Amino acid sequence: MEPQSYARMPRVKIRELRDDYARFELRDTDASIANALRRVMIAEVPTIAIDLVEIEVNSSVLNDEFIAHRLGLIPLTSDRAMSMRFSRDCDACDGDGQCEFCSVEFHLMAVCRNDETQDVTSSDLISSDHTVVPVDFSDATIDASSDGISGNKKGGITIVKLRKGQEVKLRAIARKGIGKDHAKWSPAATVTFMYEPEIHINEDLMESLTLEEKKEWVESSPTPVFDIDPVTQQVMVVDAEAYTYDDEVIKKAEAMGKPGLVEINAKQDSFIFTVETTGAIKASQLLLNAIEILKQKLDAVRTSLDTVEADDQFGELGAHMRGG
Amino acid sequence: MNAPDRYERFVVPEGTKKVSFERDTKIMDAASFTIEREEHTIGNIIRMQLHRDPNVLFAGYKLPHPLQYKIIIRIHTNSRSDPMGAYNQAINDLDKELDHLKNAFEAEMVKFSRDY
Repeated sequence: MEPQSYARMPRVKIRELRDDYARFELRDTDASIANALRRVMIAEVPTIAIDLVEIEVNSSVLNDEFIAHRLGLIPLTSDRAMSMRFSRDCDACDGDGQCEFCSVEFHLMAVCRNDETQDVTSSDLISSDHTVVPVDFSDATIDASSDGISGNKKGGITIVKLRKGQEVKLRAIARKGIGKDHAKWSPAATVTFMYEPEIHINEDLMESLTLEEKKEWVESSPTPVFDIDPVTQQVMVVDAEAYTYDDEVIKKAEAMGKPGLVEINAKQDSFIFTVETTGAIKASQLLLNAIEILKQKLDAVRTSLDTVEADDQFGELGAHMRGG
Repeated sequence: MNAPDRYERFVVPEGTKKVSFERDTKIMDAASFTIEREEHTIGNIIRMQLHRDPNVLFAGYKLPHPLQYKIIIRIHTNSRSDPMGAYNQAINDLDKELDHLKNAFEAEMVKFSRDY
């Protein structure tokens, strides 16, 4: 095949990185790759979530389906998900939840014996696999609950509240899945990217404005993109990325009779990504998994020698016509 | 009630080929590739990568219907290339780009944890 390669060599720069949040710049590639990464992160990176619930006792106020749905939405730590099997591809088990390759079993037993209302939370779930447990936000909740807003002392996500004498007892099976199947399997809370804006102020035209006019123009932007230097009284860009492509400053300049005061372009090969996860996997791992999934998808659509020619228009004759 | 199963969107049914291609009967070096159970994610990156190849005269993709879980990529090349070659090269180039991106991100992560 052709020896020439048309592959691009994208550059990445991380701006902020925490367990569940990442902000980075992606350069030297195009919107199709940026969007493919975004789509894969949201809908195709696998996680583990509760998929099957067997309820033994439920005398709570919520019906069985309601509880099963709430259990499904609880994020579970899913670092194992990439190496796990989908239960539909698993030939080692009969789908009863006892299979180490494709499922994780959970038990929940809660009875309220006090006069106070009891919260049943995700931390009451007992997992059969210590690597797959409900995501623990306790560090975050200690800070948040210290002000007394959250009455939830033990942390975790509330599943149901029980009054005296009420009971919930169930068995749940968590499986690997993807967001395309059901949003409960999506590891992404939000994944967005924006084009990096390039802002050029026409300095000559800008200097033809009075200070009042400059102020008025700076104020016309709904987001704080521009400001006036207190010393030189020059208009400067303080935060180009705050620009939302709303065109307000351009319209304002035109309304003031100064078209071309500012020129704003979206750089077509430069993106700023924001990735926030549910806690199922780390934000950095989410991107790496997305790249891996995308590579696997591309591999699956490679043509092989036995790729069939769907040209049955002429049947055998067609093959002869092509000299086959 | 009669809604199709959700997995129908991404699981290739048994006995169906993931990729099939059909040559154009009237134009030389033109063909359509039908990819089962894929959508815009794959369709758009392959199309844009094909546009970078100067031998490709036309490349486009379509999702014929939201309930038909397949995409069709149409490629027309000049005589120096052929649709199958261009298609495979686009995939190889994308694969290279993603490899590079993965390494770049991992290197950046090491750098980031060291610097901050």
